[in-house]
Amino acid sequence: MVKITVNGREVEADPKQPLIAACHGHDVDVPHYCYHPGLSTVGSCRMCQVEVQQGTAPGRVMVACRTYPAEGMVVSTESEKSHATRRECLEFLLKNHPLDCPICDKAGECDLQDFTYQEGQATGRSKEPRRPLEKRHSLGDVIVLDQERCILCSRCVRFFEEVPKKAQLTVASLGSRSVIATFADQPLTGNYQGNIADLCPVGALTLKGFRFQARVWNLVKMASTCAECSRGCSIQVEVLRGGDVKRFRPRENAAVNRWWMCDTGRFAFDHVNAKDRLVNSLVRDGHGLAPRSIEDGIAAVRALLDAHSDALFVASPFCTVEEGASIQALAKRRGTTALFVAPGPNGLKDALLHTGDPCPNRRGLTELGLQPIEPKELAKKLASSKAAVLFGERVVELAGAAAIAALPTSTALAVFDCKAPDAAACTVAIGVPTSVERTGTWINVDGQKGPIAAVKPAPAGVRALARHLAALDLRAEAARS
Amino acid sequence: MVIVKRKELSLSERLYVPEIVRGLSITFRKMFEKKITRQYPEEPLVKTEVTRGQPRLVVKDDGAIACVSCGLCEAACPAYAITIDGGETDRPIEREPKRFDIDMLRCILCGFCEEACPKDAIFMSDELELADYSRQALVYDIEKLKRPAAAMRRRIEYVNRINDRWRDAPRPPMLVGRDAPHGAHAHSPAAAAQRPHAS
Repeated sequence: MVKITVNGREVEADPKQPLIAACHGHDVDVPHYCYHPGLSTVGSCRMCQVEVQQGTAPGRVMVACRTYPAEGMVVSTESEKSHATRRECLEFLLKNHPLDCPICDKAGECDLQDFTYQEGQATGRSKEPRRPLEKRHSLGDVIVLDQERCILCSRCVRFFEEVPKKAQLTVASLGSRSVIATFADQPLTGNYQGNIADLCPVGALTLKGFRFQARVWNLVKMASTCAECSRGCSIQVEVLRGGDVKRFRPRENAAVNRWWMCDTGRFAFDHVNAKDRLVNSLVRDGHGLAPRSIEDGIAAVRALLDAHSDALFVASPFCTVEEGASIQALAKRRGTTALFVAPGPNGLKDALLHTGDPCPNRRGLTELGLQPIEPKELAKKLASSKAAVLFGERVVELAGAAAIAALPTSTALAVFDCKAPDAAACTVAIGVPTSVERTGTWINVDGQKGPIAAVKPAPAGVRALARHLAALDLRAEAARS
Repeated sequence: MVIVKRKELSLSERLYVPEIVRGLSITFRKMFEKKITRQYPEEPLVKTEVTRGQPRLVVKDDGAIACVSCGLCEAACPAYAITIDGGETDRPIEREPKRFDIDMLRCILCGFCEEACPKDAIFMSDELELADYSRQALVYDIEKLKRPAAAMRRRIEYVNRINDRWRDAPRPPMLVGRDAPHGAHAHSPAAAAQRPHAS
């Protein structure tokens, strides 16, 4: 560690990390485009220039991402010289950048916009028209490129070279006609393409799935955890006007996913946006499953448990540690063991993040003492038992909707799920919230805790599983005394 | 508790008749003066180009609205009356509203949406009357908000004239790099005053 002075404040800095990292580490903002802590540095945007003084020499303006801290360095990010250099730099970047902000998806979270408001000038001096390039250039199924907006920071190029370690993009052509392009115009491949839309500091690379879906300032954003696999990447869930989830984005977490996430996880919000939700409860009468109040549903589950003391308890791998503990406690009190559905590897495992295991809380539930069971074995076990209670989000789907539907009516089934099950064996079904409508903790494959957050309210008539379990538990206590 | 002291009435006030005469004299005098009451709705309101009525989406000569659903009017709206959902279009503007709702019961006719619009798509019309049998019917969608440009010409010209007052202003001085006066912050008025205009 060396001692440097940043804006008049003496701080410790790691000489192996670039100066910009030292500045950011001490809450000194340095505008930048090409620098990203997860990628190599190239110093191509020249935006992070700061005034650096060493020894008796007069201060010089240097790029903070390619300069390394040295003992006694005096750095000024706010000096007139560094401001002026950054303004000059912005003027060049804006020379050919279209005034697209009203239609650009990045507007509101765009670094070019932010730093221009912060540093730049309101009007341009250039009299020449901006150079026209392709506005809607498709780069595969995930990404669309607007060549005019690109400022050639090359973050996307370096991402493919350094993170999935398979180069797919390059800067093609020369001078002002330089564009980002794939080799031989092949579409992008791989499961990590979405990350370049997050990396892009401007609106050049945008997600096809998010294109024109929402203005980013209308999105409510909360920190949560990805449900795609047992890696449990830290994500940010973004919801438009308390309604649909519009976007999952990775959140920096050095212990789990660093800055990245896979595309299967990024776009896995169809389930939480589903409109055919199970609200209140369904109880089977002479004509089939009929809508009833939650209290009636709980009473029916209670009756089922009273009639069958050996009822199987099966949790969903989406159950949080807290829900799992309640299920486990209820099972223990009744003298049975609780299981959880654990589908096997789905073949999406890769070397980077995806574990291929579709159970986000496998480790958390296993550590609680719930036993994992494969869907096939579970179906056999359910068919041979008289009664079972299935708990949690997507439990029917993961246990195999077809297998559950095929169960004989000799098995009495109570289901707590987001969707109404289509099964003759089901006698009662009660709605529960999805993973964006409740709070709790998942534990990932490496034992890291992943908090999940209620980003939007559950639909009317849907209560947390914990409340249903408490209601069941209270009545169990009352019945004993 | 407040105790209100009643004023002692004078003899003429207690007599009642003189005060009645005084009051009626005002009534009779006003009967012969110029009347200022407007007989609305029989007599329509005088509407000028400055009248801010309900906002409308202007249909340009090509038959389309200029709105790109950027959401700036939605953000500017102090009454949260506007809701916009965007979507892709094959037109050169790339993006257009799939849903553009203004809840006229919430709209306070402030004109912020007109001011915020970067595409000259929304203008305040001179329509002020608003009545219907349900609240939902007063949430106007794109079709209800559309007005041909010809019908809005007076307001559009007025707004453009107002905006041009700023558009024609001399450009702010450029203070970049070595042009910037040494030691002074380029954004300060003092620094701006020192510099001749760069053009």
